Amino acid sequence: MIPALGRTLILLALLAASGGALVGFATGARPTALGWLWARRLAYAFAAFMALANVVMEYALLSHDFSVSYVAHVGSRSVPTWVSMVSLWSSLEGSILFWGLVMGVYVAVATWQNRDKHPEYMPYAVGVWLACGAFFSFLLAGPAQPFATVPSPAMDGPGPNALLQNHYLMVIHPPFLYSGYVGMTIPFGLACAALLVGRLGHDFIRPLRNFLLLPWIFLTVAIVLGGWWAYEVLGWGGYWAWDPVENASFLPWLTATAALHSALLVERKGVLKGWTVTLVIGTYLLTILGTFMTRSGVFNSVHSFTQSAIGPTILLFLAAALIFSVVLLTLRVDTLVPDGTLETGPSRDAVFLVQNLLFVLFTFTVLLGTVFPLVVEAARGVQMSVGRPYFDRMSVPIGVALLFVMGVGPALPWGRATGQQVRSALLPPLLTAAAFAIVGLALEVRNSWTLLALFFGGFTAQVTISEILLPVRQRMRAHGEGFLEAFGQARRRGQRRFGAYIVHAGALLAIVAIGVSSTMGTSKEIQLRQGESTTLGAYALTFVNAERVSEPHRQSARARMDISKNGRPIGSLYPSMNQYESQREPIGTPAVRTSLTEDLYLSIHNIDVDARSVGLLVLVNPMVGWIWIATAIMALGGLVALVPSWRGASVSVAAREPIVAASPEGSG
Amino acid sequence: MATTPVPGAAPVRASRMNPWVLAAGLAVVVPLLAILVLNLGRDPHSVRSPLIGRPAPAFSLPPVGGGAPISLESLRGRPVVINFWATWCVPCFEEHAALTAAARTFREAQFLGVVYEDEELKTQAFLAERGSSYPSLMDADGRTAIAFGVFGVPETFFIDGSGRIVEKYVGPMDRRTIAELIARAKGGAP
Repeated sequence: MIPALGRTLILLALLAASGGALVGFATGARPTALGWLWARRLAYAFAAFMALANVVMEYALLSHDFSVSYVAHVGSRSVPTWVSMVSLWSSLEGSILFWGLVMGVYVAVATWQNRDKHPEYMPYAVGVWLACGAFFSFLLAGPAQPFATVPSPAMDGPGPNALLQNHYLMVIHPPFLYSGYVGMTIPFGLACAALLVGRLGHDFIRPLRNFLLLPWIFLTVAIVLGGWWAYEVLGWGGYWAWDPVENASFLPWLTATAALHSALLVERKGVLKGWTVTLVIGTYLLTILGTFMTRSGVFNSVHSFTQSAIGPTILLFLAAALIFSVVLLTLRVDTLVPDGTLETGPSRDAVFLVQNLLFVLFTFTVLLGTVFPLVVEAARGVQMSVGRPYFDRMSVPIGVALLFVMGVGPALPWGRATGQQVRSALLPPLLTAAAFAIVGLALEVRNSWTLLALFFGGFTAQVTISEILLPVRQRMRAHGEGFLEAFGQARRRGQRRFGAYIVHAGALLAIVAIGVSSTMGTSKEIQLRQGESTTLGAYALTFVNAERVSEPHRQSARARMDISKNGRPIGSLYPSMNQYESQREPIGTPAVRTSLTEDLYLSIHNIDVDARSVGLLVLVNPMVGWIWIATAIMALGGLVALVPSWRGASVSVAAREPIVAASPEGSG
Repeated sequence: MATTPVPGAAPVRASRMNPWVLAAGLAVVVPLLAILVLNLGRDPHSVRSPLIGRPAPAFSLPPVGGGAPISLESLRGRPVVINFWATWCVPCFEEHAALTAAARTFREAQFLGVVYEDEELKTQAFLAERGSSYPSLMDADGRTAIAFGVFGVPETFFIDGSGRIVEKYVGPMDRRTIAELIARAKGGAP
């Protein structure tokens, strides 16, 4: 009953999506009001069927209906209710269903928001979105069917992946990641529509930018949540290992960040249209590549590709999307004629270009490092991994260069700057730059790249803060307002700009924190017997005892370590080693004491409760906490930049009656 | 508002092909797709151990419950499947039925279990309860597991008739994979 209902909803979603895609493309080519009405209706229908299918799956999970194959695969009567609920995205088939829900929501919102705007573009955009939606519906209807009927259902199931229950970050990370990944479908559709129409007007770049910014925020948070999870759970003391799963989420983030900046040049100068559209399309393709590389996007499933048709199906879709994109760009990119010229002299425009090239270079560097092992294995049959040294060596200079560019760009004016302007823009921030570097030297930073990062971090910090304060100062002078009054007014009037600089502040903080934490840490590996102590830096650690803790789904061995700093006791930490029922290798759970300046990180190598001995990895990681704070600042800045343009968008609808294609470029 | 008529047809410009975009696109897309297609059949569970292609380490171990030791040497001439397992290992339960059935089906191959860091009594109870169609051997001091480079259980080695290791598989086996790998071990026989 439930399986059949679920399958019917998936089939209806598939019908709505494929029908809507056809109607969308047909209406784009030959616009009619009726076609556009039906394209919208089918878009909403797709969203509704996907949402209902997810509701049915949640009902099956919560009611332990083991006749549904996905529930039989991940469900269990013995897990808490919240685990049953989030089991929806704990395994491959369910996560694709959840993917469909996220996609439906995005498509419905984007369609609704633009229901009476951009009439030339929107049918094509809906056509592209629903074509992508049709693929994922097909995946759910066939290869990844989560609603298959189990002929003689069992009374109980094995429960979801144990890692899901190990840490709350594993529960919230996937929804963020999917919201980031899936959301890139919307700008992809808009970019394809611009190519198909043969125009990227001033009016259309705004929805493109906004719908790029929203998933960008989610992706930013998701990437860092993944790193945070690795740091809190995996126990090797770091947050980023450049493994393919991580790279898969980082690659589209790089191109999306580049596109957000080049979109600004499109908006202000009418240049780099083809380039921006290419970056947006590349971003979407990278999300599909990432999905393919990581199977479900998050979990390395125990079931490999060879045993399911999901891998080959995603690969077929990736191939189709790649070919479609290359053909579309080849045939149509020249129709996006620029409305101005790109300033290449010393100017903010030119720095934007450099920034974009750096991001694309970064993308290719990471992509090459990620697929290179596959090349070697295919060619020589040898398994190898590129590993951190390559990525670190390549990414550190690019990261420092980006930090520098982030300061120079905003300091320079739009359009060609005179020598005098350049000097007065670039010389004052050198003061803060030097101050940061000197503080670094005083705190015994000796790594030259970290010192450079501090130097440019100081430079960029001064530029960013003075750019945030510039309109405030202007208002105080012109209107005689007090600081708070002027600040509030300036923020309200230039909120997009304000948000962008908050993102910059977060980004520079993140880069500096990454630089410091990865070069200034200290560590020690030690074997202790009960009662013995060790010291690292200002910390002294005493191994008080070891005990076994039994929980329903896992057995843990836990060590109690009493900590004191500079001779003053500051509490106890309990690193543990967990053996999950469904896991082959024991999983260590590190204990971390976080403070604003540094983290004390304890991770167990080996523990013997009976022999009362423990082998520990002890690390002192400076500034790691600032990476999480910096990410929150970036996400906040993104939201600040997004909200007014969205509110503005709905206001301008009311203001811009009647709805005629009133773009300033006209239709020439 | 929902039925606002859509104004005049979009101006469709004549398409001009941009050969540079095409060349750049193909230069990225073709190698990328080629690599992905070539790697599609790859199974991350079949791990390339340095031992693959080399003669399997020799051993002579007593079966669980006592009896004459069985040596690898004595099984020359037919494919041998060596499964390292333990009663404390959950994935080993999962694959036990598949292995037992496969040992009955593929009579041309000799299946052996090697018990990894476990007690003989527990092992005996496990086998009595779940049944077995092939001998499991006690590796009391773990020397055989070390010689095979076993990292954790279950791990399964496929050895051809000449005593060379053809494949190493990490994680629980299913029927299909066992059949495929036995076929490979047979193909490698002299």
